[in-house]
Amino acid sequence: MGALSDIATIARWEVKRTLTQMSRDTLPLAVILFVLLVIVMGFAAQSGMHLQDGIYTIGVDDPVVAQLIASDNRYSVYQLDRDTLWNNYRAFDAIIVRGHVWAIDTDKGRAAVKTLERDYAKYTASVYNRQEDLFAAYPLWIDTQYVKSELNFTATQSGQYVSSRPGNAPPVPEGEVIRIPTPSPTLEFSKEELRSGLTRTEAANTQISRYTEMLSPSSGPGLGTFKTPSQLAPPLPFDSIILIFVFIFPLYFSSQFFMMSIMNERIERKGELLLSAPVANTSIILGKMLPYLVMMLALSAALTLYIKAPLTIILPLVPVILFFLANALAIGMVSRSFKELSFISIFFSTVATSYLFFPSIFANVHVIAMISPLTLIIFTLQGTAWTATDYLFSTALFWLTAAVLFYIAVQNFNEERLFSEHGLLTRIREFIAGSMREDHPFLSLFLLSAFTIPFVFMIQLMCLVLFFNLPMPYSLILLILFGAAIEEVAKAVGIYTLYMKDPAFLSWKNLVLACGATAIGFLIGEKLLLFVTLSQITESIFGSILFLSLGVLWIPLLLHFGATAVFAVSLKVGGVKWRIAGLLFATLVHCLYNLYFIMGWLK
Amino acid sequence: MKAKHVKIIVKKEFRGLLSERTILLAILLQLFVALFSSFLMVGLTSMYDPSSLSKYSRFRYNVAYAGNDSSLNDYLILSRDFRVYSMDLSPAVTALKERKLAAVIYVPDTRPDAEGPVKITLYTLQNDLQGTIVNVKLKDIFLTYEKELRYVRQDRITEEPVPLTLPATSGGGDFYEFVYGLLIPLLVFMPAIIASALVIDLITEEYQHETLETLISTPVTFTEMVWGKVIACELLVPIQAGAWLFLLLINGIAIANVPGIFLQVTAASFIPIVIGALTALHYRERTAAQFIFSTALVVAILFVLALPANPLNLVTRLAVGEAGADQWLILAGVVAVGVLLSVLLNRYADKVGRERLAG
Repeated sequence: MGALSDIATIARWEVKRTLTQMSRDTLPLAVILFVLLVIVMGFAAQSGMHLQDGIYTIGVDDPVVAQLIASDNRYSVYQLDRDTLWNNYRAFDAIIVRGHVWAIDTDKGRAAVKTLERDYAKYTASVYNRQEDLFAAYPLWIDTQYVKSELNFTATQSGQYVSSRPGNAPPVPEGEVIRIPTPSPTLEFSKEELRSGLTRTEAANTQISRYTEMLSPSSGPGLGTFKTPSQLAPPLPFDSIILIFVFIFPLYFSSQFFMMSIMNERIERKGELLLSAPVANTSIILGKMLPYLVMMLALSAALTLYIKAPLTIILPLVPVILFFLANALAIGMVSRSFKELSFISIFFSTVATSYLFFPSIFANVHVIAMISPLTLIIFTLQGTAWTATDYLFSTALFWLTAAVLFYIAVQNFNEERLFSEHGLLTRIREFIAGSMREDHPFLSLFLLSAFTIPFVFMIQLMCLVLFFNLPMPYSLILLILFGAAIEEVAKAVGIYTLYMKDPAFLSWKNLVLACGATAIGFLIGEKLLLFVTLSQITESIFGSILFLSLGVLWIPLLLHFGATAVFAVSLKVGGVKWRIAGLLFATLVHCLYNLYFIMGWLK
Repeated sequence: MKAKHVKIIVKKEFRGLLSERTILLAILLQLFVALFSSFLMVGLTSMYDPSSLSKYSRFRYNVAYAGNDSSLNDYLILSRDFRVYSMDLSPAVTALKERKLAAVIYVPDTRPDAEGPVKITLYTLQNDLQGTIVNVKLKDIFLTYEKELRYVRQDRITEEPVPLTLPATSGGGDFYEFVYGLLIPLLVFMPAIIASALVIDLITEEYQHETLETLISTPVTFTEMVWGKVIACELLVPIQAGAWLFLLLINGIAIANVPGIFLQVTAASFIPIVIGALTALHYRERTAAQFIFSTALVVAILFVLALPANPLNLVTRLAVGEAGADQWLILAGVVAVGVLLSVLLNRYADKVGRERLAG
């Protein structure tokens, strides 16, 4: 009970202080800016985005066509007679003569044709949508039924195409044939329902959808599973992606306040008073965090209610909020100056946003999307169901990393750490040292390397997302290199910290013990987390590189021990100068091991 | 105001940036953003327009055709992308589940000239990269079939669209608008945003770390100090923007008018930086200053984008070589606003400096 009331008291202080500290005109000004934002958004919606005005020059001979394409302000349209157009065609990106489009053979010319094609398709659609006899204009409708394959994710990535076996006989299913009812030949919607669906697609053709189109072939939401052929393309969940920014941006913004509040305690030793209070560190940190946590949850809930989405959206957001807060806390505690704070937080937000955002683009296409909790939000918005396993899969790393960061922060929330003026890397090392128990160095090493696992996985998954698209051999090579390097850095951290604290600690006996503790901790952490969450990815070839060590137990243990020992020995023999070289050696050993297994595997 | 004093401050700030290695982070950030913009491009092409990847196009996919015969079957057989099997629906879908087929198409017994539509059922694999590719390839065939059906029913159509024949697109040009119309303007203006956030940090830091007193005891005046910080941040802009343009160039993205872009970006960045400095002088505290400034920035950027012929659009047009004489007019406008804001900053800093001296 004591701790709870402490937390409540500190939370109250925090709110009061933040409100008084903000000078008097901040809040009114914020309200004014918010109102302005709404007005400007209205204005922008009306006037459109003018980022790409006039990038193409088009010459047209027919006034009707000229009028048609001039409605898109990406073109500068010149209406001239045929001969002038033919004689000066080089001055244009494309010319339209007698209803024929001729484009210059450059990237720009081709892009102009693509844009014209899309505009023309929209125009045709708008004409056909008005047809009395809708089924004469749209005679073909396609009902897409998705079938869940028993082999997913693995097959396409490992280079196996669906039944590459040539042959004239139709394939015969091996399993039991499931009866599929004959589809009804009629659509389940009336003509007018379909028409309104088509017009909705047409209306969605705004300034914003132009930016989506350049990323995906034009398509739109059909009616349920019914689509016309031109709508048949995987929809880029762009509306949902924009909504995600609407969700994530305020969260990031609010976590900035928490970051600043922590930083402010450290400026000119202002936080001394708080530290000297008879309150546990945990209570101080939780108390300071509580108002921001509540604010972020309230913001998310308000947004959810505003867009009338189901409140289950909050579930995947909670670990993201905690992750943001934990990082804000860590960044607020390590940075030395405001500019350092700014740069680190911009860097963090870019990395975190890309981790969250990029996989979710593929929400409708590929299972890789599931590593981001935002995909669950998109699914909720689209009305696709997700399971508890999906939830665990995409949020486990966020929960774990947040927890580890909070633990480190609590252990280091003291005068010595908060008011030190050391450089960034030294401070990070001090923080890690501060979280290790001096009387149990090997137990600490064991736990430390086990707890680096969620971070290692996060960074490795990030690499997976980034390299996923490179052509096959390169993506594999890069993954092998980065995967190994990341693991080696993670394993080296503990031993390096101990060595820097007291070089004498690293006697030969202790070195062996330390490497052993690190290797075992790493292996156990890896196994545990993989079993719980990542089975989907580990089945693919990429997973087999990152998480190769999952096979027989003693071989990976030997690898972890060996690679760590390479680093530790270089450190002991060569001293601090050799730390980078030691890491490179260790990475090399790790890569060779991986290559050996992959080569064997590829055969 | 003495140029020498301003220079001292500029040097001091650069030294600070270098010693903290924050500049390193900024470069890392730049590389990271570059990496994932290329990821975005490659990724989205392969995921959403997979046919653009040639390695997939050699492959023939097995599809099953079930139900009644139609000319769709002929189109499928003629296509070089598919190997078609006539099968019953149930075994076909089961084979699809076992990945022995890439898609199953069921065609009902509807006459081409019937009153109602022809409704085809397409079974594909969910959440599958290959399913996506097959869908994109099938789409072309469905479109051909739709054209045929539309032709059969053309008597019932009352208004035909104005005819326009487009050349067959041979791929390419997909990301032209993305690169030139979105990526380049956003990337070259990102340094401006970073620099204006930085100027707020630099100024509020003097207040909050109470280091102003030591500065005031030197011959440097308060106004000179503020200008030194503003200029240090302004100098960062062309350096970073240059790095971006260089990165784009080594990626094989040709930019038509590099000096023109430099000029516009450097001039336009001065405006947010001075506004940042004014905000910092007003609040003297980072949290409030950054909060108000970044909110205002979002409003301002949205507003500017909604105006025709804005500086971001101008950068786009400069990059594709479509900028006319109006670029000088826009530059003049931007410079005018910059001068106006400078006068304002000068006065405000003088006032704050006098107040400090007075006590």
